[in-house]
Amino acid sequence: MSKAILVVGGGFAGLTAAIEAAELGHDVFIIEKSPWLGGRVAQLNKYFPKLCPPSCGLEIQFQRIRKNPRVKFFTLAEVTGLSGSKGNYTVTVRLQPRYTAPHSVDFSLLASSLVNEVDNDFDFGLSKRKALYKSMPFAFPDRYALDAQSLSKADVSRIADANFLNMTEQAREIELDVAAIVVTTGWKPYDVTHLANFGAGNVKNCISNMQMERLSSSFGPTGGRIVRPTDGRAPHSVAFVQCAGSRDQNHLDYCSYICCMASLKQCLYIAEQNPDARITVYYIDLRAPGRYVNVLEKVKAQPNVSFVKGKVAEAVQGRDDKVTLTVEDAVRGEKLTLTHDLVVLATGMQPSLAGDNPQLQLPLDEDGFIAGGEEVGIFAAGCARMPLDVTRTAQSATAAALKAIQTVKGGRRHGQ
Amino acid sequence: MAQYTLKPDSDFAREIAQAGGESLKKCYQCATCSVACPMAPVNAPYPRKEMIWASWGLRDKFDSDVDIWLCHNCGNCSEMCPRGARPADVLSAARNMVYKNLTEPAIVGKWMSSAGGLKNLFLIPAVLWFVVWALRAAINGQWFPRAADGRIVFGQIFYGDYTIDPIFMLTFFGACFIMYRSVRKLWEMFTPQGRMLVIGPRKNWIFHLVDVLWEEVVTHKKFDDCEDGPVTGKPTQNRKTGHAFLVWSFVILAFVTAAVAMGHWGGKIVPAIHIETPMPLSFPVKILANIGALLLICGLALLTWRRVQLDPERLGSGFYDWYLLGIIWLVAVTGILSQCFRLADSIVPAFMVYYLHLVFVWMLFAYLPWSKLGHFVYRTAALVFVRMYGRS
Repeated sequence: MSKAILVVGGGFAGLTAAIEAAELGHDVFIIEKSPWLGGRVAQLNKYFPKLCPPSCGLEIQFQRIRKNPRVKFFTLAEVTGLSGSKGNYTVTVRLQPRYTAPHSVDFSLLASSLVNEVDNDFDFGLSKRKALYKSMPFAFPDRYALDAQSLSKADVSRIADANFLNMTEQAREIELDVAAIVVTTGWKPYDVTHLANFGAGNVKNCISNMQMERLSSSFGPTGGRIVRPTDGRAPHSVAFVQCAGSRDQNHLDYCSYICCMASLKQCLYIAEQNPDARITVYYIDLRAPGRYVNVLEKVKAQPNVSFVKGKVAEAVQGRDDKVTLTVEDAVRGEKLTLTHDLVVLATGMQPSLAGDNPQLQLPLDEDGFIAGGEEVGIFAAGCARMPLDVTRTAQSATAAALKAIQTVKGGRRHGQ
Repeated sequence: MAQYTLKPDSDFAREIAQAGGESLKKCYQCATCSVACPMAPVNAPYPRKEMIWASWGLRDKFDSDVDIWLCHNCGNCSEMCPRGARPADVLSAARNMVYKNLTEPAIVGKWMSSAGGLKNLFLIPAVLWFVVWALRAAINGQWFPRAADGRIVFGQIFYGDYTIDPIFMLTFFGACFIMYRSVRKLWEMFTPQGRMLVIGPRKNWIFHLVDVLWEEVVTHKKFDDCEDGPVTGKPTQNRKTGHAFLVWSFVILAFVTAAVAMGHWGGKIVPAIHIETPMPLSFPVKILANIGALLLICGLALLTWRRVQLDPERLGSGFYDWYLLGIIWLVAVTGILSQCFRLADSIVPAFMVYYLHLVFVWMLFAYLPWSKLGHFVYRTAALVFVRMYGRS
């Protein structure tokens, strides 16, 4: 029997790489840090190229995993050790306890009876969640997770007698023998607290583009109504601040590739829900690669969307929890100070491994993207390598899967 | 939109780069800098437009650009620049180009633009004062003479009436005349072609000048405005205190000089106001002089410390900056040391250091129009201009 392939990260790239390899007859392990698969795509309202909801593309991937016995996945799992060499790795994986029974128990009643609430990371703090939770309706695996640290004393007594909860579950480590590793650790939104001139996250109604995705999402904090977080009212004027931390040597010294398209897409969300809202996009350059130029044309044709060439230099709190932006309209050569009901910072993609010591000890470039590793049978794909949209992420994942299965075959020919 | 044909002058772009704006090609016109600057006017703010003019080599645009003088070089734009294009340095370089090219004779500007020219700049007053020393030594019969009562009196060699005063008066009024011509030239370059209609009350330029001096010199208010930009999240080193100390000390020392000159020359007509040099340490004018010297040293120390602390990746310091700080340091140190040596009765070092003091003071004043100190005049003129033409 040939050795398996390990896929680190269960987002769109990881799922694609795993399925591609498995469907070619290889055993694959996916390990995912969070309790569910799906990664960043699951948090989006719609995604390119067809502007489908995430349930669409992810459902297909989940189906393929469910039907393919060659794919095994571990959630709440992280790599803690790696030994061996190309074709013959032993990977130590630490599994955090999930506490819930291994079948799809509906804990919704028990969860709603709990008292303590914490910020919901899945909604980027726009909503609260209980300690027993499931982040989205089509979550896969379809199991609740219990975050024991978020239980209050009252909560502990409430769940004490619950069936299908095993509070004695402990963290454990397993070892996996694999021939090749595909690293698809993905990205994180650039931390707005670094953006001092935009109020470092303290300006009300100044949200990030990923928060905007959650606001627009039908299973988001507002059920898909795009409203101001402070008062729940539909905004009359919305601004998009492009390159919020990207193409900036003080922050991310590269173009994050997706933020222009994300903002254009979000313009369409708003125009669709609230055709009267005035939308302004402040940009340095608009990047609509390839056929995405059609989306740009479509947004430009919207009557209430205007574009101002100029990078916003400052965002401060205005009256009535509005947000005041200062920017130079570089085409007209005028300094503008304009107030908007809602401001969206188009923050960029930072590789998840940036600043986070990876156990795999991969060569990273100065920005934290994986640069190399193929010579030792470790293949990076998706946004762990470079900023990509979903289509190109899938392509890079397929490419990595192809390289990985060649490593497995090579290992078998020489070694066994 | 009006048609405008660009006439790029790549030599100009190179000149700017040499004068301290090497980084300008990194600019991608994001326009952060114009908004990072709290002083930039709402209409046609700087320095984004200057960045593109510089990289396209549009010399004529720069010639008529009053905005480079509105900039007080707080460095906010460079701090926030996403590319490290350092617009603050580019504006600084543009001002250096004015020091270098505006004023005749241009050769002095050329010497002043790099460390290579220092030798010539130093030699002129060094020879001048050495000739004075040699002549007086020949008359006195010795190089280091003492007064009749045994004291050290610098006037024995550098006799006020016939040497120091005429030379410095000539230097001072010569510099004033040169500056006057330069300011006239600058003013003509600023003035837009055609006629301008001004709506509302107008003030005479004298009143504008008073306002400018009040804001720039007395209160240093502009330095506060300057740093009142967006939060950059980076530490800013205070410049106001150091600069204010320095400027106030200049005012005090100018007053002292005027008082001594008045006492000396006026005293010849009205004996009641006669001042004898050297003045005793307890004499009010002397006390003021020493307060000025102390303030000067404090200001210099603060400004020098700030420049040393600056991150050269963000805010550069060029030859013009270091020359000005250096020459004022030398004036201050030689001035204080010559007083100390005189009081300590060490005659040889006292005269030597005093000689150097004269050399450096002469350098400070005679080369003022070509040095960074020229900003005192050019910026003042530019600020009066913008007030008269309603741009602020």
